[in-house]
Amino acid sequence: MRYPLAASMLALALLAGCSSTPMTADQGASVEDRTASSAGTIPTVRPDQMQGAGLAALRDPNNILSKRAIMFDYDSFTIRGEFMPLVEAHGRFLAANPQMKMLIQGSADERGSREYNLALGQKRSDAVKKSLMLLGAKEGQIESVSLGEEKPQCTERNEACYAENRRGEMLYAGEF
Amino acid sequence: MKLTDLFRYLLITLLAATALSARAQLSIEITGAGANRFPVAIAVMEGESQLPRGVTDVVRSDLERSGLFSLVEMGPKPIGETVMPDFAYLRTRGADAIAVGTVVPAQSGKYELRMRLYDTRQEAQLDALTLTMTPAQYRITGHKIADIIYERITGLKGVFSTQIAYVVKSGKQYKLQIADSDGANPQTALASNEPIISPSWSPDGSRLAYVSFEAKKPVVYVHTLATGLRAVAANFKGSNSAPSWSPDGNRLAVVLTKDGLSQMYTVNPDGSGVTRLASSSSIDTEPAFSHDGQWIYFTSDRGGSPQIYRISTQGGRAERVTFEGSYNVTPRPSPDGQTMSYIARTANGFQIAIMDVATRQFAILTDTGRDESPSFAPNSRMILYATEIGGRGVLAAVSSDGRIKQRLSVQAADVREPAWGPLPR
Amino acid sequence: MMRPAPWIALLAALLTWPAHAGLFDDAEARKEIMRIRDDHTARLDALESSSRATLQLANQIEAMKAEVARLRGDVELLMHDMESVKKRQQDFYVDLDARLRTLESGAAGPAAQIDPAAESRDYENALNLLKSGKYAEAATAFDTFVTTYAGSSFLPSAHFWAGSAALQAKDIARATQHFNTVVNQWPQDARAPDALLGVANCQRAMGERRLEQNTLKAVISQYPDSAAAKSAKQRLGS
Repeated sequence: MRYPLAASMLALALLAGCSSTPMTADQGASVEDRTASSAGTIPTVRPDQMQGAGLAALRDPNNILSKRAIMFDYDSFTIRGEFMPLVEAHGRFLAANPQMKMLIQGSADERGSREYNLALGQKRSDAVKKSLMLLGAKEGQIESVSLGEEKPQCTERNEACYAENRRGEMLYAGEF
Repeated sequence: MKLTDLFRYLLITLLAATALSARAQLSIEITGAGANRFPVAIAVMEGESQLPRGVTDVVRSDLERSGLFSLVEMGPKPIGETVMPDFAYLRTRGADAIAVGTVVPAQSGKYELRMRLYDTRQEAQLDALTLTMTPAQYRITGHKIADIIYERITGLKGVFSTQIAYVVKSGKQYKLQIADSDGANPQTALASNEPIISPSWSPDGSRLAYVSFEAKKPVVYVHTLATGLRAVAANFKGSNSAPSWSPDGNRLAVVLTKDGLSQMYTVNPDGSGVTRLASSSSIDTEPAFSHDGQWIYFTSDRGGSPQIYRISTQGGRAERVTFEGSYNVTPRPSPDGQTMSYIARTANGFQIAIMDVATRQFAILTDTGRDESPSFAPNSRMILYATEIGGRGVLAAVSSDGRIKQRLSVQAADVREPAWGPLPR
Repeated sequence: MMRPAPWIALLAALLTWPAHAGLFDDAEARKEIMRIRDDHTARLDALESSSRATLQLANQIEAMKAEVARLRGDVELLMHDMESVKKRQQDFYVDLDARLRTLESGAAGPAAQIDPAAESRDYENALNLLKSGKYAEAATAFDTFVTTYAGSSFLPSAHFWAGSAALQAKDIARATQHFNTVVNQWPQDARAPDALLGVANCQRAMGERRLEQNTLKAVISQYPDSAAAKSAKQRLGS
């Protein structure tokens, strides 16, 4: 509910702007923050146009949205504090761009049963999905799946590597 | 006559008896055998030299590889089916049984094999059989004969004629392969650039269910081996995994995450008729039917650590089965209903364990520390599993009493996810 | 004329715009819009901090679920332990009750049928036969001993001597059987290394050199500190 409100506010401001003197420059900056886009002011939300602008933000290495991985502690499924801003940024982005779709791939380290590790990876991707939904993303936008221990980022056998592989990876449509 | 007392595990390394072909096939090495192996003589068959490839070699290597038999050397002289063997001499050679036979040409390029098996102490015939074969069928014919000898002497069904499925990973390629139980004749059923896990044989041996990641997420397929046709058995939102056939072959237990956490369902092999099997607020996975279809054994973390539980297929409360240790997974009830094999984490790592279903007594069967995916032979006597030796995935087998050990490996590749097929029909 | 509330003013402006564009002056409209924007920013901030709180709450719920699962696991273990204790206690009771009944009825227990004196006498006799070189007789005597006194504490030794006697009497199959019985049933017994060495001797007697070597290696790997391992090493070295 909050973002439709924001969007109508934005439209309102633009209409008012048209009718009179242009608004001060900081208006653009605040809109940019809201939608977490670096592509400048966004006049009207149009799915086709948005796609390009949104993906650019997703690829910009200076933008937090270009970061996609959330690491988890051993045997844990809660999102650590350090990853909260990342989850928030993506949650808001999904909320502001309801046409965007996301696939979350959860993973586990290689120790133990492949099938149980698949379930652990799922628990991690679900944790990310739930958090994104609490931030306004819609159920239909996100699919959470698991890769278990099958697609490790790191193949060495040490705790650092295992930690690297206990992750949730957020991918937008077109990236997987 | 039966081998009633089976023997404590003795680390006796025997050399590999299997002939290695040029193709990358599984080679089997016996790494432990029973201390008290049954001495048997397999004579060359009269007229066997007519065959391009001999049958008795196959019989001999099957029996020796089983770890339950020792072969008494009989020399190159054939003994025909009509000749009464010299029992007194055989006894002095230490042979408790002898197989003899005759090969005669039959119609249309085929051959007829007439075999007899004798008990040298009782001086009595144990079995007599006649088989017809083409020269190309020398291996399967040898396996059939070995099955009969094994069954006559041990009282258990022989499994030399069965097949095994497993996944080979070489580089970025994953291959789901089917081979004879001795690793010969490997055939690739599926080749993919994405992982393949959890193959499960239909009870009639015609189909394999498995999980493939080719759609960038786990999806359960049912693959008819003869035709190569595949049906999607489960492709719901989220992950689809851990297929396991019901004993009647009509249903497939699977794990889906469409309603959130990993939960167990049953589906028809064509993907229709999804029914929830149980409901919990934890991970429930790796379902496996008991031989009679009464129970589903599964892994759950409802108690804070992964443990094995079972639930009646009629519904009801889940009952915890494992209590020792903090990690017990991958339950596999034996085909005879007596035992259950699983993976237990011990001080030495992940090891194959076996539990007596009635008494809940358990034992660790292996001395390796990265064991996975146990799979019972159809006679419940051996357990095939994946492990790691020298940083490479290999398959290994251990007898249910822990005494006989074999290792199966493919050169320069990782082998994993084994599944032992049913008895041929 | 009464001044309308800012909201109504703005709405009215919008509804009637562009026809009534000049109803309010620019400065007032701008002021109004700035105010709305500030209000909006404040609301968004509030929403953000509340969604952050919700996230934290969700994390806490997840942690509590894990805690509940652990507690559930503890309960499962305690229930299991209690069941085992109950069962064992019942077994004790049944056993005790049975023994008391036997005592009360004055009947002699089956244990009384075995005469410990006869047991050690028979054992000694068999051993003496072996010492005096009467191997076949000794083998038979030990055979009889192990069947007569199935619960005897001499059993591992009796099997071992039976095997040794049979080997001397050239009854290799019987010797192998006895040695294997010791190795299989009492692998921790002091006789077990020698019994395994006996198995190797039987294999040598049968000309099975390869098996003999493997068994000798097994003696060394399974009982590395035993005297049997020492002699196995010597034999492998020769």
